[in-house]
Amino acid sequence: MLSVAELRNAYDQLIQDLPPEAIEDFSRLFEATRRLEGLIAPGVAGDQSHDIMNALAAIRGYGEMLQEDIGEQFEFLNDTFSRLLKAVDTASSNKVPVPSADDQPIIASEPGFILAVDDLQENRELVARYLSRTGHIVVTAASGEEALRTLDQTDVDVVLLDLIMPGMDGREVLKRIKEHPEWRATPVIVISGRQDMEGIIECIEAGADDYLFKPFNPVLLQARIKAGIERKRWHDREQQYRLQLERNEKFIRATFGRYLSDEIVTDILERPEGLELGGDLREVTIMMSDIRGFTSLSEKLAPDQVVKMLNRYLGAMTDIIMAHNGTIDEFIGDAILAVFGAPKKREDDADQAVQCALAMQAAMAEINKINLAEGLPEIATGVALHTGDVIAGNIGSERRSKYGFVGHPMNLTARIEEVTAGGETLISDSTLEKLQQNYQIGERRELNAKGIDQPVIVHQLLGLQS
Amino acid sequence: MTGQRPILLVEDNELNRDMLTRRLKRAGLEVIAAEDGQQALDLMRSDSPSVVLMDMNLPIKDGWTACREARLDENINHIPIIALTAHAMEADRLAALEAGCDDYATKPVDFPGLLIKIGKLCK
Repeated sequence: MLSVAELRNAYDQLIQDLPPEAIEDFSRLFEATRRLEGLIAPGVAGDQSHDIMNALAAIRGYGEMLQEDIGEQFEFLNDTFSRLLKAVDTASSNKVPVPSADDQPIIASEPGFILAVDDLQENRELVARYLSRTGHIVVTAASGEEALRTLDQTDVDVVLLDLIMPGMDGREVLKRIKEHPEWRATPVIVISGRQDMEGIIECIEAGADDYLFKPFNPVLLQARIKAGIERKRWHDREQQYRLQLERNEKFIRATFGRYLSDEIVTDILERPEGLELGGDLREVTIMMSDIRGFTSLSEKLAPDQVVKMLNRYLGAMTDIIMAHNGTIDEFIGDAILAVFGAPKKREDDADQAVQCALAMQAAMAEINKINLAEGLPEIATGVALHTGDVIAGNIGSERRSKYGFVGHPMNLTARIEEVTAGGETLISDSTLEKLQQNYQIGERRELNAKGIDQPVIVHQLLGLQS
Repeated sequence: MTGQRPILLVEDNELNRDMLTRRLKRAGLEVIAAEDGQQALDLMRSDSPSVVLMDMNLPIKDGWTACREARLDENINHIPIIALTAHAMEADRLAALEAGCDDYATKPVDFPGLLIKIGKLCK
């Protein structure tokens, strides 16, 4: 290259003025050009394309570094550097390693990881040569045992299997592959002599995907490998897809499962469009409950006792609410806000809510028994139910949102809840109207809550109709 | 750009290894180097580099195999790998991505482009 000769000249003249780093870079640049000249000299045998490419890459790298570092100081060299880099670029794009005509791939295929199993070295080398020209990565095994070890360590796309081998033969290897839970999807192409037609048939019955007769035609080999790789890729993608689906389902169950009953989660999973829970106005029965006097109670207890007691209570209540298809909107300290009728509406939402409230009150006896046994105080909960139209939907920002509810009935339920006594359940007139079954209803009260124009009528809920 | 952790350069050709090491260091990056796929895996495990630049045609253990092994090792499978492949060998590039490399750069390397790729993967 003329530019290199020019640079050598310049270097000899400028050496006094060059920074030490540039001297180092120059000497490496010249070393790389000497290397390159050696590689492209006439009479050099074998495929040198890889080394040529590396030498060119080094020349380009040092050339660029030098141009950046001293190009400003020695402006007259800029042009030479540019020509050198141009020459390198041209050389690198021309120096395509061209396979000789006999080896040229005829069938282009996605590159794959091929395991070639043959006890004869020349056969293994032949297959490796044919297939690496097509861009495949070939690993070889000289015996059945070695093949199984390789399968254990590497993710193989296609197995090319010779049938007749000393020790473990091809049939046995095939059997082991097809019995293995992870390998069984790996396509196996069996290779045998033309006289062993029966062996081939036997192998195909045992799960081999394809076959080739020896001596095989390289084009046929490439075609079969291509088909095998495609089959494997399909399988891999399918596997990936299935894993993705499983992950999604797990995620949905984990995210919603804490707040929604199993039935509703399953329902959402079965109808993916149901996940786009846009806001909508719907009639729901709202439940609010809290432990009477819990705040002052908690001040008298150690923090870990408070948490223990609270978790026991909330855990029991959560189970009961979910069993009645309620959606828990949130816990606020000891208070529970739950909704019946969203995201899924049912005919008997109000009845479910009422029965849920009764079950919650009934469960308190058992909770208190445990509390007493542990030296903790007895607790009593008040529950309020109200039915009305609320907006249900994903509420929040993009970073944090949850399926939640807004509307006047939510506030009203809170007002009712404020006046419930320990162990008492109050239901509003509107909930009572919706009930399809009969219950024992007690005292009727008129409630003048602040911020609410009309007095609200509430009823004591005493129990199921006996 | 890369914090405290070095870049691991895996290259068997010493001219290129030396050249890239010098260039990366001049760009202000810390560099450690390996000469084959096995050394690369060992250094990934011991020095947890921020990103790996890996030539694919390596002795002892080639780049594709090393890459596949790295992807199966949960201690190092988060470390991004940029494959260095010859300009003309498209099949090598595809195989590199197939083996789990995050990106590739062709030789001779477009250095500013490589720095951008490193910067992106080191985030």
